[in-house]
Amino acid sequence: MRHGLMTWRESELSQADVLARQRRLQAAMRESNLDAVLLYTNHVRSGAVTFMTGFTPYWADALLLLPADGRALFAVALSKRVGTWIQSTNPTVEVAHSPQPGRLIGDRLVALGAKKIGVVELDRLPGGLVDEIRAVATAVELTDASALFGTVRSLPDTAEAGLARQADAIAAAAFATAPSKLTRVGDVTEALELSVRNAGAEECYVATAPDLASDARLSRVKGGVRLGTIFAVRLSVAYGGTWIRRTETFASFGADATLSAIAYAADELAAKLDLGADVARQIENFNWPAGATVADWSIEAPFGTRPLQRVASKAAPPLEAIPYGVLSLRLDSRTPVLLTRLVGIFGQAVARRSSA
Amino acid sequence: MAAREVAARRRQRLTEAMRDAGFDVVVLFGNAWQNDYLRYAADFGILEGEGIAIVDRTGETTLYLDDPLEAERAAAECPDLATVVSTDIVADVLQSLQRYANHRIAAGPRRNLPYGLSRHREDMHLGDPTPMLDRLLMVKAKEELDAIRDAAHLADEGYAVFRNAARAGRADYELVAEIEAFFRANGVDDNFMLVGVGGREVRGMTPPTGKRLSPGDLVTTELTPCVDGYYVQICRTLVVGEPSSLQQKAFGVYLEAMKAGISVVAPGVTAADIAKAENDVFHRHGLGEYTTSEYTRVRGHGLGLFPDTKPQILEDVTTRIEEGMSLIVHPNTYHPEVGYIVLGDSMIVGPTGPEILTRTARELFGTAATGGVA
Repeated sequence: MRHGLMTWRESELSQADVLARQRRLQAAMRESNLDAVLLYTNHVRSGAVTFMTGFTPYWADALLLLPADGRALFAVALSKRVGTWIQSTNPTVEVAHSPQPGRLIGDRLVALGAKKIGVVELDRLPGGLVDEIRAVATAVELTDASALFGTVRSLPDTAEAGLARQADAIAAAAFATAPSKLTRVGDVTEALELSVRNAGAEECYVATAPDLASDARLSRVKGGVRLGTIFAVRLSVAYGGTWIRRTETFASFGADATLSAIAYAADELAAKLDLGADVARQIENFNWPAGATVADWSIEAPFGTRPLQRVASKAAPPLEAIPYGVLSLRLDSRTPVLLTRLVGIFGQAVARRSSA
Repeated sequence: MAAREVAARRRQRLTEAMRDAGFDVVVLFGNAWQNDYLRYAADFGILEGEGIAIVDRTGETTLYLDDPLEAERAAAECPDLATVVSTDIVADVLQSLQRYANHRIAAGPRRNLPYGLSRHREDMHLGDPTPMLDRLLMVKAKEELDAIRDAAHLADEGYAVFRNAARAGRADYELVAEIEAFFRANGVDDNFMLVGVGGREVRGMTPPTGKRLSPGDLVTTELTPCVDGYYVQICRTLVVGEPSSLQQKAFGVYLEAMKAGISVVAPGVTAADIAKAENDVFHRHGLGEYTTSEYTRVRGHGLGLFPDTKPQILEDVTTRIEEGMSLIVHPNTYHPEVGYIVLGDSMIVGPTGPEILTRTARELFGTAATGGVA
């Protein structure tokens, strides 16, 4: 579930911002002769609805029906008792509650006389919701609208860029202020969670590779596990529904000049990476300090209903248009070095704790 | 008991249930919201993306994940699990199922199964494993109950952290930050948690909204730490400062109702019997209106691999309570004079009655004027 602060911040994402996004999708659906587009959300697949409304469900699931003209209907399985909170954090849509949100959508489709409905990621929509819709709206045609949605979702968005920058700054500050002499994984996760959530983040996941010399895989590690000489931590942070990741590699004995130089180089690469050009070439031709070389890389970006999804990698480099991304690097140095940076947005955070 | 042994016991029970139900293969879908069916078979605590497990009658399990980072994590955390990473897990699972063309396949849970699979219900003769899994999830093996017992102390310790964090001037999300930090440092993978701060204007609990605690506020929370997949819940209410006599009087109704509900818990009664015992107390105090869905969702529920599993404790739920279930009884609802109050304890249903797991005092707590526990 979502545990952190969930509130509407008009100064960071305004109603005008999300309404403009809705209008762009409505224009696209009219060009495609769709009567409406249906978007699914839960806290795992929150990306599409969050982008269109600013709202993420902390729990349960919901459907957003955006007709080709007019106001969107948000049908949610959460009860009316939390309706005030939902409306306060989802102010641009009509909110309706039901244990069977698909039926509410079906009723509305019938009322609208809608015939052809685009569904983002139709094959991933819960089958029970399709059954609920079809029990009421027996004549509607459901067609996949993922590509159509992608044409709107992939556009750079000023408000979203601001939220991503803020999420990145929260993550960078957490790393920068974490105590430098830590011995257990739990010490790291505790400090980072506290910092990120106190800064107003909506959610935070911590993954650790406690000893890069033996295993470079990032996972959820029990708190009592001891940190090795070189370890890495990945923070995945959501702020205002916008997700970023940031990974840092540390030396448990304190400041390490080589790691610091590589981390600053990653900042430099992230700041100048041109997502509209050949990304693979830019990454592979980059001059790393201390003889480090790129062993692997990937880029994630908001995609469909996913807040972040891998969209390019060393093995599959072609990159389609994305609004912003996070670049994860695995570098070979005297041990593997893991780093993740926000890319495609000017002004990424650069603060790190002194040992990196 | 090691989590791996608990998972092995679950898989044994699953294959036995499959045999009894006549299924050769089950396909189980899940994500971080609804992970219980998936986790029952494939012992992986998924966080991002979605997963589908294919389990054959020998218990051999393959987990399909659509997120490469999650696949890397699964490889590290569950080294014995066969994992496939793919952007289109629905298509890949359909492809894999072709080799079971002459077998009896079931796919679920029915409501959340992706449409790309559920639309083949007829042509692939897909059975519904939902009732089978629901029963396995409700009535647990001894090893699972031991895992739940082991996790229970963290609910109490978490609430102690919450009480110490609560003081006038702090924001609700800062309390949650302390809880989450404590839990992550102490082996808690996940936590279902809602809060409420205020007085009569508060009708329920939500995620943190940024509200700051003020003297006299009721602060409600339900903490549900998850250890190795198993959730245990505690519900308590505190007052910022000293509780007023009105708040104490109101709290007395909830304490009486919770005790009444717990006193009924035993094998053979129904979920409705427990709910009625709780609600009767409210009726006796002239508060019967506040036991309806207008003011409250459920009067308790099952716990296990999901924080809010069957049976729901409601007067219209006739599910029979059995030994080996784990439940919470919580008469949480709105009180017209003071606002929303919560109180609940987790328990395991034993052969003759409940074994209470959470041990935090059943009090309306107060905080000192400048913070921390009074």
